[in-house]
Amino acid sequence: MTHQQNTLNDPMKMYRDKRDMARKRVTDKYAIQGFISSGTYGRVYKAQSKESDGRIHAIKKFKPDKEGDVVTYTGISQSAIREIALNREISHENVVALKEVILEDKSIYMVFEFAEHDFLQVIHHHSQSRTAVPMPVLKSLTYQLLNGLLYLHNAHIIHRDLKPANILITAGGVVKIGDLGLARLTYQPLQPLFMGDKVVVTIWYRAPELLLGAKHYNKAVDVWAVGCVMAELASLRPIFKGEEAKLDAKKNVPFQKDQMLKIIEVLGTPEERDWPGLKNLPEYSSLQRLDKYHDRLGEWCRTRLNSKEAFELLRQLFAYDPDNRLTAKEALQHKWFQEDPRPTLNAFASLAPNQGYPQRRITHDDAPSMIPLPAASQAQTQTQAQQLAQVQAQAAHLSQQLSTHPHSGKAGSAASFASLSGGAAGVGSGHARKKTRLG
Amino acid sequence: MATDFWVSSHYLRWNVDSAVLRQARAEDIQYVDHPEYLDFLALFFAGLIAKLGKKLSLRQRVIATATVFFRRFYLKNSYCETDPFIVIAACCYVAAKAEESPVHIKNVVSEARSLFSSEATTLYSGIKTFPSDNAKLAEMEFYLVGDLECDLTVFHPYRTLMTLCWKEGSDVISEAEAGELGAGIDDGPRYWGTGEGKLEMHEGALQMAWFIINDTYRSEICLLYPPHLIAITAIYMACAIHQETRGDIEKQTQSGAYAFSGSQGSQGLTRRSSRPSSSSYKRQQPQDIVGFLAGLNVNMALIATITQEIVSLYALWDRYSEDATTDSARASLKRSASGSRPEIITPGLLIQLLWRMREARSADLSGAHSTPGRPVAVNKMLERAQAAG
Repeated sequence: MTHQQNTLNDPMKMYRDKRDMARKRVTDKYAIQGFISSGTYGRVYKAQSKESDGRIHAIKKFKPDKEGDVVTYTGISQSAIREIALNREISHENVVALKEVILEDKSIYMVFEFAEHDFLQVIHHHSQSRTAVPMPVLKSLTYQLLNGLLYLHNAHIIHRDLKPANILITAGGVVKIGDLGLARLTYQPLQPLFMGDKVVVTIWYRAPELLLGAKHYNKAVDVWAVGCVMAELASLRPIFKGEEAKLDAKKNVPFQKDQMLKIIEVLGTPEERDWPGLKNLPEYSSLQRLDKYHDRLGEWCRTRLNSKEAFELLRQLFAYDPDNRLTAKEALQHKWFQEDPRPTLNAFASLAPNQGYPQRRITHDDAPSMIPLPAASQAQTQTQAQQLAQVQAQAAHLSQQLSTHPHSGKAGSAASFASLSGGAAGVGSGHARKKTRLG
Repeated sequence: MATDFWVSSHYLRWNVDSAVLRQARAEDIQYVDHPEYLDFLALFFAGLIAKLGKKLSLRQRVIATATVFFRRFYLKNSYCETDPFIVIAACCYVAAKAEESPVHIKNVVSEARSLFSSEATTLYSGIKTFPSDNAKLAEMEFYLVGDLECDLTVFHPYRTLMTLCWKEGSDVISEAEAGELGAGIDDGPRYWGTGEGKLEMHEGALQMAWFIINDTYRSEICLLYPPHLIAITAIYMACAIHQETRGDIEKQTQSGAYAFSGSQGSQGLTRRSSRPSSSSYKRQQPQDIVGFLAGLNVNMALIATITQEIVSLYALWDRYSEDATTDSARASLKRSASGSRPEIITPGLLIQLLWRMREARSADLSGAHSTPGRPVAVNKMLERAQAAG
């Protein structure tokens, strides 16, 4: 085929060839150390930069689209576009930093800074060792979480999926909010938020206005989730652990009765006087049909959060009326953070050296094709094999460590890096953290 | 981020100067008789983006984002080495997602095909290569996002215009664009200037400013200047063109107010800004527009430059016609005496030009003149060698 004919049939071939030649491949820049987790979005790997700094990263590979066995282009998902677009603009100590995006062979790789721990892992660690999260740690984690959230909210980003698995912590005790796959810019939206995603926020962390079918919601949904996360750090289990009602055949969103019940069992049945506008919410009549409860958050806190100020903060994070709920900024100014122990920059600062949390567990990838090996020389292949052996040895070592704890059969929160959007992979507690996405 | 333009990818990586623009067209310019044709192509492509966007029912802001993506793509590529039509479709497809109002890929493909390959109209009959396969468009999207360096958040002058001039009940903007106000909208602080005060414009003038902003996307102005300056230029031009507004300003300046406009203007601003509900504050006098513009704390020389650019764009646009009948008759007859350049430029002519550019480029690359060391040329040689062997 002559060049000219070629150009006429596929005028962009020359362009693509040029770009393909210039492109640096993932495996040129990073040595994959092992597999961290998977979810509906794809898979996450731990990788070391081949640059001189040798930094550790987490590489999130979006699942390529397949038609039969052939990988094909079907268009980049809205969620990937969102996560990429938002991450390219933001930069904050308490939000996971995106280093770069690599587009290669029909796949998208997002290279993030690596974080050794996450809230879910910390919670599991304590629930397995039957110890409480030390108050200085709990307070620092909550403070830094709110600090990251304040940044996002100031930038007009609603996260919409805050939960322990999505909130990472570096080895140095710095909180990093992760997974902006469901996050949205709310500055002058072209269409109302509920049009895009009918269901947002994992059920246990979902704010009452969402459960009651509000068409308009705002940043306050994230603040509610922070309340849930703080309570979970204190009690080591989700405070409102409801059963999710499934979508019906027509994909209508049902009233999440059980989840609402779990909330009112602790916080009491909401009244029109604490939440003006309550009566106008679509699911108000469903709420009326539930049994009535009194507020017993104080009682809940007494055994779990032995601090009056902590209780006060939680109370205000759990305000039923979204307009009455604290903002991230107000929460940061709460008295609890001003009384001793003060929050620290390194959330683990108060821990003794032997009190640390286990490292994130990595495993050998059971789907090695996800990161293609370079068409490499023998030597390179050998190095890879050595690395793999190392990884496996390390994993074995880690699982030995873990097995000293009574219930640590599973990978635990190692599987939770950068969230499990579908809740598909195993989470240590045995409960799938559910979230349904529509549209 | 949404409020902080100064740390945005838009400001940090995509505000370019005219030298960068010239460099970006260095290859294309070898294949046109006059640099002006490249401006006509820029005008023509933006028009196609707007047409495709309308067919897909995209909002104006989505169309603007698509146009900015297109311009950014061609900062790194040449018209003569690519197929701008599939790039246009991919820009619309990605922009819809980036602006949170996605459209299905098959709609983009079918609308683009009907727009670009329609045999019924002679206008675009030159464009025959638009693929019917969704995967082709998705592939283009993939490469496009790569060339955009994944910077998908774009700032537009519309936002400044709304912040500066939007008022409750103004149907120009609220109907056309604002969408569901109240759905999580809170006015962030203005990212430049004093951040205070609103200009109360005549409805007609406001609409005119809006249209001027739409028009700026037909040129490369959106790459050269930050969006808030483009918005202020549009306000400034609308004030000068809109009859009633101009009348007001003339009255103010003739009555001697102009001499004191600086101090009066700033007084007026402080008064208004001290009251958040400025709409309830009834002014006795019409607002001092000149004073308001002077008080914006932006580089007025730059505003003048942008005004010049917009005026030049309109001059160029006057010589462009999509009226198909001019294609054959007027365009070919009306050739200026000084050269062979036709006075009226039509889409048909531009498509032919594009084809000639592409063919010439292709011939150059595959011919003996191809620069050694170019990856593409090497690749082609390899391909031929393989075919021969």
